[in-house]
Amino acid sequence: MVWQPFVAPFRKAGLAAVVLLAGCATFSHDAGFGEVQNTTQQYIRQKPVWVTTDAQKAQNDEQVQKLLSTSLSVEDAVQIALLNNPRLQADFYELQKAEASMVQAGRLPNPSFSMLYARHDGDYSIEQKLSFNIMALLIAPKASEVEKRYFAATKQAVTQRVLAVANETRRAYYDALAAKQRLHYLEQVKGVSEATSELARRMQAAGNWSALDAARERAFYADTKIELGKAEHQQLVAQEALVRLLGLPNAEKLQLPERLPDLPASQDSLKQVNPDDFSKRLDLQQMRASTDALAQSLGLTKTTRFINVLELGPVRSLDGRRGDPAKKGFEVRFELPIFDWGTARVKRAEAEYMQAVQQVSAAAVDAASEVRTSYDLYRRNYMVAQQYRDEVLPLREKMAQENLLRFNGMLISPFELIADARSQVLSVVSYIDALRDFWVAETQLEQSLIGKPLNQERN
Amino acid sequence: MVSRRAFLQFSGAALAMSAVNKAALAGLPELVTIDNADTQKLLYPETGRPYHPVATLNGWSLPWRMNNGVKEFHLVAEPVRREMAPGMVAHLWGYNGQSPGPTIEVVEGDRVRIFVTNRLPEITSIHWHGQRLPNGMDGVSGLTQPPIEPGKTYVYEFEAKRAGTFMYHPHADEMTQVAMGMMGMWVTHPKNPNSMKVDRDYAFLMSAYDIDPGSYTPRTNTMLEFNLWAFNSRVFPGIAPFVAKQGEKVRIRIGNLTMTNHPIHLHGHEFEVAGTGGGWVPKAARWPEVTTDVGVGQSRAIEFIANELGDWSFHCHKSHHTMNAMGHQVPNMIGVSQRGIAEQFGKLVPDYMQMGETGMAEMVDMAEMMSMPLPENTLPMMAGNGPFGALAMGGMFTTLKVRKDLPKDFYGDPGFYQQPKGTSAYEWAGALPEAPQAPVPAKETPAAVELQVKKPGHEHAGH
Ligand SMILES: [Cu+2]
Repeated sequence: MVWQPFVAPFRKAGLAAVVLLAGCATFSHDAGFGEVQNTTQQYIRQKPVWVTTDAQKAQNDEQVQKLLSTSLSVEDAVQIALLNNPRLQADFYELQKAEASMVQAGRLPNPSFSMLYARHDGDYSIEQKLSFNIMALLIAPKASEVEKRYFAATKQAVTQRVLAVANETRRAYYDALAAKQRLHYLEQVKGVSEATSELARRMQAAGNWSALDAARERAFYADTKIELGKAEHQQLVAQEALVRLLGLPNAEKLQLPERLPDLPASQDSLKQVNPDDFSKRLDLQQMRASTDALAQSLGLTKTTRFINVLELGPVRSLDGRRGDPAKKGFEVRFELPIFDWGTARVKRAEAEYMQAVQQVSAAAVDAASEVRTSYDLYRRNYMVAQQYRDEVLPLREKMAQENLLRFNGMLISPFELIADARSQVLSVVSYIDALRDFWVAETQLEQSLIGKPLNQERN
Repeated sequence: MVSRRAFLQFSGAALAMSAVNKAALAGLPELVTIDNADTQKLLYPETGRPYHPVATLNGWSLPWRMNNGVKEFHLVAEPVRREMAPGMVAHLWGYNGQSPGPTIEVVEGDRVRIFVTNRLPEITSIHWHGQRLPNGMDGVSGLTQPPIEPGKTYVYEFEAKRAGTFMYHPHADEMTQVAMGMMGMWVTHPKNPNSMKVDRDYAFLMSAYDIDPGSYTPRTNTMLEFNLWAFNSRVFPGIAPFVAKQGEKVRIRIGNLTMTNHPIHLHGHEFEVAGTGGGWVPKAARWPEVTTDVGVGQSRAIEFIANELGDWSFHCHKSHHTMNAMGHQVPNMIGVSQRGIAEQFGKLVPDYMQMGETGMAEMVDMAEMMSMPLPENTLPMMAGNGPFGALAMGGMFTTLKVRKDLPKDFYGDPGFYQQPKGTSAYEWAGALPEAPQAPVPAKETPAAVELQVKKPGHEHAGH
């Protein structure tokens, strides 16, 4: 994932007719990181740590080593990433940068002092001039406002970034684990194929088999070696992706468990999701805050009604307090206020505002659709994995047992027995893939509930 | 349908008699069925002309009733469960509770009326294989009669004109119904009970089934690759022995309703083929044999004096026919070491056990010693034990047991023969003569030399 620098979204904010100096902004003790931590706590239990001192670094390293000392769980992996991911640490400095800009913008520009000394016909004239950059003085309140919003947006973005890294880590963890498990089984296949090929060679040497029969088994063995090579590379790729997210120098200390977490026992234990519930969508919340700010800056104050952005029609006349979402059972509406446009003087403001409303609406519709899609994938991947677990694997197991009975009775050859056992292993590999797909779909679902970091501009 | 089921002793044998719906079958002879595969006691005639009854191997003869001088039999075609050997049951079609159906015994010149009730889910008919009879009684569905629909009863009536060994089987959807086990023996005894008289007269039919290991019902579309070769729908070690008192004259009547020929071989005795499906063979035309081939659709009556004491093998000489279900595709592993390989296989199949390196006999030992589980309802390919160990046989194999003393009516198993001291093969305990050695080839001789062929005529050209 590429970290996209963001720029404040309030392109039009400067058009505010009158914005007074918003008071003098000062540095906070943590550049807003505490706020970021608090928000992420609503989503994950792991806390991000911003390492700024040597003492913190030492403490962090110790915690990472401790987490690495046992078989790694997915939640521990997330914790390591939040402590140790270097890109995340870099992102945290965005907070400090944004806060610094904000504080800087809130200060009056330094006055300039100039002295003019002139001699004219023997007279000296000294003119002292204390001047301000009048333009800077005029722009200051606007710039301060922009930087304040930019700082708020940065906190939001860093929060999303933390959650995204947590999800990426989960995904990478499942990928790496599945690749490792896969490799284990393909090594088994390769082992028996090698033995089968050797047995075929001995069969030919004893004169019991033709070169054709022996070649067939040898060719199969050659194929399995190639497949194993590919799987080895896939395992390395998946492991390296995890190593990068965890901020480790290499995979040396990585202790992955033998198996992926079990599939939840039944569908009842799956997550329940309401696609129209945007309470967790950080991006939409941010957009809503932007439209609020826009309304403010446009001087729109007289709210006439609210509109549901999902339906883009009036849902209720104003009869409650502003910001009081209309709740109906399970459903949480995502609403924006509509204002009294008054005279033609605010035609442009109406256009600006309604455009923003339409943009929020589009984003909300997309978000709901995205959640529905990822929720469907999540449930479907569950059903596929469940089908493997409850039907395919037991049936393959039954087939293996029945084949062994036939082998006992000399009804089938060792070659047939082993060929079937091989295909049984391959269906176990398919199950591992299905199980991984389920867990990955869960991370995708989580991500779709949070939303993506917005692409922001500052001007 | 069956409304009442009564059991009664019949000729000393436990036969189950079921009374069929009286309204529907009023006036029909009793329907007698049997529920096991043992050789039943002989059916001595209480009415009609006297004769010496046959012993049907793992079977029985159907009782009749005399109705105004006509012998009336009642056959019912129905699905049956036949035990082919202990541990294996086949879902077959047969007659009166078993496959094959009961043997019908009549006397030359008898007027015979056979009621045939169809309890199969499809049409059937019965063809009286080898009999001289009116064309309308020949039982060929479509050609000589309409098919017998399910639930219907047909009547066949004719005179048993010729003494000999006959068979009966369907001639409607014949391939399926015969492959499902529908067949029976028919013996017409000579009018003069002293003509062609023997002390023991055995009869059985050969049939073949393709029952996939783990299943119960034959695959009826199989033509050649059968896996169960049966005497009277029984396979070794489930086939009863032939028994005889030393010096008795024995006849064995063999009918073949499989799809291939069977060279039937008897140990320890010579026999003559005294009869075929076409009748008795004139004395002057017989010759001594130890094996006779019984072709498809043929019957043979072999006769011999059982004068050699012992347990003598009696079997089809196609060795694959003296095996139970086997894997025809299993390659020969003789001389192929599995060292290092079985361990690898064991990783994938934990119970893997290497087999076949020294032949297949080891499989018998393993099956015995380890009681290795086989698929459901499946007999080991090779089975049976004797006083000296495993027989490792199956299919069309049984024994002729000749004993000094044997009651006339005894048709059970007298146990294993006690060989007199000094008459058994024994292991040489003395010094072994030095084995002759082949000359050692010179070191430089390429291995391919042994494969070079010298053409005659060129022999001297190079010298
Ligand atoms: Cu045979």
